[in-house]
Amino acid sequence: MSTIAVIASFGEEDQCAQAVHELRTAELGELQTFSPFPSHKIQHSFARPKSRARWATFTGGVTGVLTGLAITIGTSWEWNLNVGGKPVVSWPPFIVICFELMILLGGIFGLLGFFAFSGVPALEPAFGYSERFGSDLFGLVVRCDEPKASRIEAMLREAGAQEVSREIINQERVVADA
Amino acid sequence: MLYWAWILFCFTLVGVAAALWARQIYVGLGVSGLRQPVMWAIYITNFVFWVGIAHSGTLISAILFLFRTKWRTAVYRAAETMTIFAVMTAGLCPLFHLGRVWNAYWLLPYPNERSLQPDFRSPLVWDAFAVSTYLTVSLLFWSMGLIPDLANVRDHAQGIRKKIFAVLALGWQGTDRQWRHYSIIYLLMAGLATPLVLSVHSVVSWDFAMAQLPGWHSTIFAPYFVAGAIFSGVAMVITLLVPMRKLLHLEELLTPWHFDNLAKVVLLTSLIVSYSYLFETFMTWYSADPIEQMTFHMRYFGPWGYLFWIMVLCNCIIPLFLFFPSVRVNLLQIWIISIFVNIGMWLERFVIIAGSLRVNFEPAQWGPYHPSITEIMITVGTFAWFLGLFSLFAKHAPIISMTEMKEGIMWLRKALKKGDSTKAA
Repeated sequence: MSTIAVIASFGEEDQCAQAVHELRTAELGELQTFSPFPSHKIQHSFARPKSRARWATFTGGVTGVLTGLAITIGTSWEWNLNVGGKPVVSWPPFIVICFELMILLGGIFGLLGFFAFSGVPALEPAFGYSERFGSDLFGLVVRCDEPKASRIEAMLREAGAQEVSREIINQERVVADA
Repeated sequence: MLYWAWILFCFTLVGVAAALWARQIYVGLGVSGLRQPVMWAIYITNFVFWVGIAHSGTLISAILFLFRTKWRTAVYRAAETMTIFAVMTAGLCPLFHLGRVWNAYWLLPYPNERSLQPDFRSPLVWDAFAVSTYLTVSLLFWSMGLIPDLANVRDHAQGIRKKIFAVLALGWQGTDRQWRHYSIIYLLMAGLATPLVLSVHSVVSWDFAMAQLPGWHSTIFAPYFVAGAIFSGVAMVITLLVPMRKLLHLEELLTPWHFDNLAKVVLLTSLIVSYSYLFETFMTWYSADPIEQMTFHMRYFGPWGYLFWIMVLCNCIIPLFLFFPSVRVNLLQIWIISIFVNIGMWLERFVIIAGSLRVNFEPAQWGPYHPSITEIMITVGTFAWFLGLFSLFAKHAPIISMTEMKEGIMWLRKALKKGDSTKAA
């Protein structure tokens, strides 16, 4: 039995989100969408947990504050200069350094987290991508076993797909099966 | 052809400025007009001016993003690009000001052979941290927003352009996985950039407010400078967008509605800045400090008093025309007003910085300041550098966010389909 990719294109995000919802509920295959802009409706229809990339930003922020404290307090202790009896660790001015480093490392870690979790930079093109999915159409690729393909195609057309096509993913297995 | 002539003109001026800077490094700061007591003047004025210009970009891209403001969509990429180039320009200005520029890295914490560290209690060190952070985070935020648009350009480009944009787009294809992580990190970046934008100009203001100099040592400086920064920055956005709209034929994307909203921000911040001038005067009177009062008397009626009154005209009086709705949608009129605001805000920084130093505690310490040709040409060079870089980007890269425009068009189409003409309008 070969694995098939059913590729559908939609003009409206609502139709694509509806198709994702129905196919996910029916558990007919593995789904992937392409969209020209971030669609909350499509994201919602996948019902996935929140992105873990946000923890990267949090980790960066905490690391920034700790780094700020380490360099400011550390250097104050290292050069223990008594200025008119004022405290050696005069923390109010150090808040500025801690704050700036929190933002700096929060931003850098956040971007690295985005790269780590989103698969960007991607060296290989995603299967089923079409240039129009970056312009004005929403794409939906369903990977499934061959017997389910006809039912999926019918569901996609019913959801309002403009075009539905079918491609064989693992050619080798098809040849072996034949 | 005209475009390349403009680029050549800009970078010729940059070349002249670079040559004069090289001469200043070789000969010394004596070629500038900096003399005791006015040791901070045009270079630092330019620094504060360009950092201020940068602020509106982050305001429009991050703060208005968090508020889900619709009109930001068409203008935010241009404003954000302006931010990047303005901070790059601002970062150069303290270097012009340094007598021994090769020691600039002393501001950064690093292990060295003499085990010296920067003084973290110094506002100048805070400033080095704040401006570097601002440049880095703005650059990350801007680059991240560009990725989907670069992918879009890649998909429609041919030949070598396609290859270049394929590398820059980092293999972006807009999959649900990519958008899922992109959305949250973009939101968090906006959340980080929002307090950052307010902090950076506050830190810049503390370069002055932490010093016990009459005219500088004031608690209102942080909000006063932040409002001024947004005022001048949004004015610069208008100054750049009006000709860009015409030259790049963006009339359908940048409508009078966008300029109306930008003009409202200019008007609001003009009123805040005007209030700050009044309040600063009141506090000077209320403090009963004769030296403070003398400094302000000299600021208003001294030899440089005319600069102060030109500043008031540009920053407080002329922007009042923006109360008229017909002026706010007349692009020529708001463009002229925005240029006056740019002039006024540059003068404000000069009046505060050099004007306060000129008149010091003791009349015996007072001294004149005459800007030299080196300072003037380096100032012109900073403008040429900024305009040249912005022109290059506007012509060759997506200056309007295609991704967010598509989202906006989709939203508009749905509103029209539902018959909600009020919302669509």
